[in-house]
Amino acid sequence: MSLQFLLDGLISGAMIGLGAIGVTLTYSILRFSNFAHGDLMAWGAYAALVAVGVVGGLAGPIAPLSFGLPLILATLFAMGFTAGLALLLDWLLFARLRARGQAIIVVMASFGASMALRNLLEFLFSSSPAYYSRALQIAQPVGFGIRITPDQGALLVMTVALVTGMHLFLTRSQRGREMRAYSQNPALARVTGIDVSRVVRTTWIIGAALAAAAGVMVGTLVQIRPLMGLDLLLPMFAAAILGGIGSVPGAVLAGLIIGLSEAAAVMFIGAEWRAGVAFVILMAVLLVRPTGLFGVTER
Amino acid sequence: MSLLTVSQLEAGYEPGLSIVKGASIHADKGEIVVILGPNGAGKSSLIKAIAGIVPVTGGSVVLDGEDITAVPAHLKIRKGLAFVPQTENVFPLMSVEENLAVAAGVFRGAAAPIEEMFALFPDLARQRRLAAGSLSGGQRQMLACARALIVRPGVLMLDEPSAGLSPKFVEQVFARLVEIRASGVTIVLVEQNARAALAIGDRAYVLVEGREAHEGPAKTLWDDPLIAELYLGHRKEGVQ
Ligand SMILES: Nc1ncnc2c1ncn2[C@@H]1O[C@H](COP(=O)(O)OP(=O)(O)O)[C@@H](O)[C@H]1O
Ligand SMILES: [Mg+2]
Repeated sequence: MSLQFLLDGLISGAMIGLGAIGVTLTYSILRFSNFAHGDLMAWGAYAALVAVGVVGGLAGPIAPLSFGLPLILATLFAMGFTAGLALLLDWLLFARLRARGQAIIVVMASFGASMALRNLLEFLFSSSPAYYSRALQIAQPVGFGIRITPDQGALLVMTVALVTGMHLFLTRSQRGREMRAYSQNPALARVTGIDVSRVVRTTWIIGAALAAAAGVMVGTLVQIRPLMGLDLLLPMFAAAILGGIGSVPGAVLAGLIIGLSEAAAVMFIGAEWRAGVAFVILMAVLLVRPTGLFGVTER
Repeated sequence: MSLLTVSQLEAGYEPGLSIVKGASIHADKGEIVVILGPNGAGKSSLIKAIAGIVPVTGGSVVLDGEDITAVPAHLKIRKGLAFVPQTENVFPLMSVEENLAVAAGVFRGAAAPIEEMFALFPDLARQRRLAAGSLSGGQRQMLACARALIVRPGVLMLDEPSAGLSPKFVEQVFARLVEIRASGVTIVLVEQNARAALAIGDRAYVLVEGREAHEGPAKTLWDDPLIAELYLGHRKEGVQ
C-alpha cells in the first residue's frame, strides 16, 4: 500500500483549511454563512493569473519550483485585490441587508453573489482551465513511498506561515482581540469602545486575503477554473463546523482531517466517493457534536 | 451643573414601543446615584439607552456639558461614560488579562495599566490567565468593573452588580464601589438590593413604568413608608 494518499490529503487539507478560516470568521463575526467565499477564492486565483501575465517577465522561476518572484508578487496583489472585492461586496450588498437584521436574507444574497461572481469569471476568462506555469514538476521521494513536488512543499510552508500569522494576529494584536471580543459578545464589545465597522472590515480583509492565497495554491497545484471555489465550498463549510465556529486553529485542523479523509476514501473506497466525504463528516458533526472540536455552546 | 443629565429620555427595542418613557435623572460629580424600581420598570433599558445600546427615540443625554445622545456606543465610552451590564459582562473565552487588554487597547495611552486594575482587584491578579467564563460570579463582576474602570471614566454605570452574588460578595462589591467613588468616579447604580444600595448611595430614584416616580436623598428614601411598602419590598414598623 502506498502512503502517498497521506500527502495528497495533507495538501488538499491545507487548501480547505486556509479557505475555512474565512468561512469561520465570517460566520462568527458577521453572523452569516457566506456562500460566496469559494468564489472569492477563484477570483483571487484569476487576479493572480492576470498579475502574472503583467509581471511575468520580471524574473524566471526559482529552481526547483515552477514559479518565481512574479507569482509571489502576483499572490500579494491577488490578496489585496480580493480583499478589496470583498469590501466592495459588503458595501454594495451585505452591509445593507445586515442592517435589516435577518441573517437568512444575507445568506440568500451570498448565494446570488456567488453565482454572479462565478458567471462573471466564466464570461471574462471562459470555463476552460488555465495555469500559472506549464513547467513540469518532478516529485521527490521523501521516504515511506511518499513523493512530494517542490511546489507542494513550498505551498505547505506558506500555509503554515499564514496560519501561524493568523493565530498570532488574533491572540496578540489589538485588532485581533477586538475581533474575538466582538464575536463573543457584540453589545459588550460596543460598550467597551470597539468600533464595529472596523471589526467588520478587518474580517473581510483577512477572510478574502486568505481565500485568495488558497486560490493561488489550488491554481498552482491543480488548475485555475471558475468553478474551483464552488468545488471547495462544502469541504470548507464542513471544516469550519467540524473545527468549531469561530476557531481558527479548529478550522485548519478540521481542514486537514477532511482533506485526509477524502484522500483515504479515494484510496480505499473509490474516487467517486471523494465528494461525499465532507458531507458525511458535516452531518456526523451536526448530529453528534454540533459545537465541533473547539467550539463552545451558543449563548 | 450636573456631570450627567438625562432629560425626558425615550427609548425602546421596537419602533413605536417605548420602554423608557420620558425618564429624567442626573448625577453630580462624585455622587453615587441609585436607581431602584420594580422588576420590568425599565431600569436596565434606561441605562442601556444612556450607554447607547438601546435605540433612543427622544430626549437627551448630556455629559459634562456635551450632548452625547446621538454619539454611537463605542464612542460614548471615549467621552468618559462607562457601563457594566448586568449579565454577559465579560468576554467569556478570553483570559482575564485579555479582557482588560482589549478594553485598554481601544484607548492606547489614555487607559490605566492593567497592573493598576490588578492592584485594585487582587483576586483577579491571581486568575489573570484563566478564561473569564470560568470565573465565579463575584470575580466576574470584579472583572467587569475593572474592564470599565481601566479607561478611567468620569461616570460608571452599573446594572445590578450584586445580582446572584452571595451576601459576602455583595458586601465586597459595594465596599469596592465606595472606594471607586472616593477616587473621583461618579457612579450610577441600578439595584434590586435596595437596602445595600441605599446604604452607600447619596441620592436615589425610583423608576416606575419607564419614568422616575420618586427622587430623594438615599437615606430618607429607605425610611419613606409609602415608597418602602410600594417599591422597596419592606414595611416600616408602626405604619399601618
Ligand atoms: N432585549 C429586549 N427586547 C425587547 N424587550 C425588552 C428587551 N429587554 C427588556 N425588554 C422589555 O423592557 C421592559 C423593561 O425591562 P428592563 O429594562 O429589563 O427592566 P428592569 O431592568 O427594570 O427589570 C420589560 O417589559 C421587558 O420585557
Ligand atoms: Mg434589569
